Amino acid sequence: MQTQDTHNEDAQPSDAATDSALVGTDLEIGYPTLEEPVVTVDRVDVPEGEVTALVGPNGSGKSTLVKALARQHRPDAGEIRLNDRNIESFGQKELARELGHLSQENTAPDSVSVEDLVYHGRYPYRGFFESVDDADERAVERAIDLAGIDHLREKSVGNLSGGQKQLVFIAMVLAQETDVLLLDEPTTFLDLHHQLRVMETVRRLNEERDVTIAIVLHDIAQAARFADNLIALDDGSVYDWGPPTNVVTEELLEDVFDVDAAVRYTPDPEIVPKRSL
Amino acid sequence: MAGETRTTGESGTARGTTGWIDATLVGLICVSIAVTVLGGLIQVSFGAYSMTLPEAWSAVTNPAVLFNGDAWRAFLLGTALPEMNRRALIVWNIRVPRVIVGAFVGMNLAVAGAVFQAVTRNELASPYILGVSHGSGLGVLVTFVFFSGLTHLVPLMAAVGGALAFIVVYAIAWNGGTSPVRLVLAGVVVGMVAWSLQRGLFFFVDDIGVVQSALAWITGSLTGTDWEQVRLVAPWSVVSIFVAAIGARHLNVLVLGESTAKSLGMKVEWARFGLSAVAIVATSSAIAVAGIVSFVGLIVPHVVRTVVGSDYRRIIAGSLFVGPALVTAADVGARLGPSVVAVAAGVVILVAGLVLGIGGLVGSTAVRARYEAEYTRPAGVALVVGAGMLGLAWLAGGPVVSDTQLPVGIVTGLVGGPYFLYLMRRRKHLGDL
Repeated sequence: MQTQDTHNEDAQPSDAATDSALVGTDLEIGYPTLEEPVVTVDRVDVPEGEVTALVGPNGSGKSTLVKALARQHRPDAGEIRLNDRNIESFGQKELARELGHLSQENTAPDSVSVEDLVYHGRYPYRGFFESVDDADERAVERAIDLAGIDHLREKSVGNLSGGQKQLVFIAMVLAQETDVLLLDEPTTFLDLHHQLRVMETVRRLNEERDVTIAIVLHDIAQAARFADNLIALDDGSVYDWGPPTNVVTEELLEDVFDVDAAVRYTPDPEIVPKRSL
Repeated sequence: MAGETRTTGESGTARGTTGWIDATLVGLICVSIAVTVLGGLIQVSFGAYSMTLPEAWSAVTNPAVLFNGDAWRAFLLGTALPEMNRRALIVWNIRVPRVIVGAFVGMNLAVAGAVFQAVTRNELASPYILGVSHGSGLGVLVTFVFFSGLTHLVPLMAAVGGALAFIVVYAIAWNGGTSPVRLVLAGVVVGMVAWSLQRGLFFFVDDIGVVQSALAWITGSLTGTDWEQVRLVAPWSVVSIFVAAIGARHLNVLVLGESTAKSLGMKVEWARFGLSAVAIVATSSAIAVAGIVSFVGLIVPHVVRTVVGSDYRRIIAGSLFVGPALVTAADVGARLGPSVVAVAAGVVILVAGLVLGIGGLVGSTAVRARYEAEYTRPAGVALVVGAGMLGLAWLAGGPVVSDTQLPVGIVTGLVGGPYFLYLMRRRKHLGDL
């Protein structure tokens, strides 16, 4: 693993090419209505078999970057490689079997049952005329089990709380059985219990099934606790990159988050915010 | 636990092929078939050559026609008609095809409406949302005004006008991709332009007869439909409905939103265009035989969704039967005049109340809970209103057959208006799927 500790705007790992599941190089990602690109990064790595958290303040480009990595939004410049293959060269279903992506906002008709929704995760494995087979069934059972939503399976989505709904959508993405998973702020708006449920599911997935995970998190303390790596984004570029003990510093909180905070290492970093700057 | 008992492959197979069919759906389909058959029989029995319902039934089930290969060849392929008695001739050659065409029209519009409600992710979408109705209306007017010698091509021109409007809408909405909102807005724009041109063309018509037949086209009418119309609409209907039924699973993914559908591996633009195109084929073929019958494509998927939930496999299957039921019932009203309309509407409302009630009682626990919370009152109101209408019609002297031959679209519109009102009063989130 790379443990660079360069506190500057162009923080980059040097030798990540071989063991990164997902790599973006020379990326410029913008929107048609804006002149300047929202995200400009020379290199971003999602190391294989690890949990990588993207952190940064509102508007720092976390979601934009994740959308580009998930091929939901085409970057203006640069290249993204999944398992050392250009992401543009994947077919739509092929990509959905390799890379799962859960966007920030998810909607489903209220009367859909939880089980039916999770079955949608098997969509990329089914041909136009095919119906579900044993493999689909097993994958759905595993996903439901992993997300811990067995007691909800007969319920309809409209009757769930926000946290339960999020776990159901996570189960849907898990049913895709991808080796790489991108999650965009899955814990935002959830109560503490469901935040931890989501993060524990992510950890289990990583430990038991060796899934590579990139996850956008709002809460840097949570990111520091659960992730193997942090990517700190500041105003569309990578401020720092590496394991939490190296990335989470009082300096980072001041520069990136505009917060005056004390950081204690026990040995995991613990953050005590004091005031906004 | 539930998880342990249902991990076998067997339940997986059941789930993929038939697992989504539940008692509520089957009940809805049975009621619809009953309404269609009853409406068809009434339609067959009334007219200049009047007969009783049993007589109509015996004529329809007349084995001399039913098992006569020559007769079916004549009906379906247009060969010469074999000898048959007068009653059989009237029933089978004039009245039955009208019922069959109506059933196809209802089927096509209902299924197309369901597809468009999913594609545009809007519960209030109809087959005409992408400018199709006004486009085909313009096609009709252009033919009547500029090519008055080619009026036999009006069905074709109507279908072509609608399909052209759809293509123009798609072209306008396309900007490196489409979105439901862009499509709907482009549909409104193209529809408005076509509507204005169409209304403008009315000023160039000085023959009142032409105006009337043009109006019949743009309100939708089953008057004078024949086996020729059956032959025209059937093949397109079968193909497009088959594809739509297969596409139902994809509609379920599409309603999760563009981003999610993409993440799940769907080629969203292709799916959206392909499914819309299929629905346009269904719509255009319905327009070609019956003109622009309003509201069917809006109400039917909506009613079905309210009863069976938002799984599109169920919605399409249900629409396939409720559509014909609505059009057949409405056409009975259109043919038999205002007092009969009141009776028919009373029956329709009564049946709607019964369907709601039965659906609520036989449905799953979740359906039952929802029924008790939301539908007890509407079902009760429907029963009271339906009974009231029947009572009023009775006081006014019973159903007097006037053979008015109203365009069926007027009746569906009269049913659709109150339904919209009900929708606005009842629903908290108008436009949710």
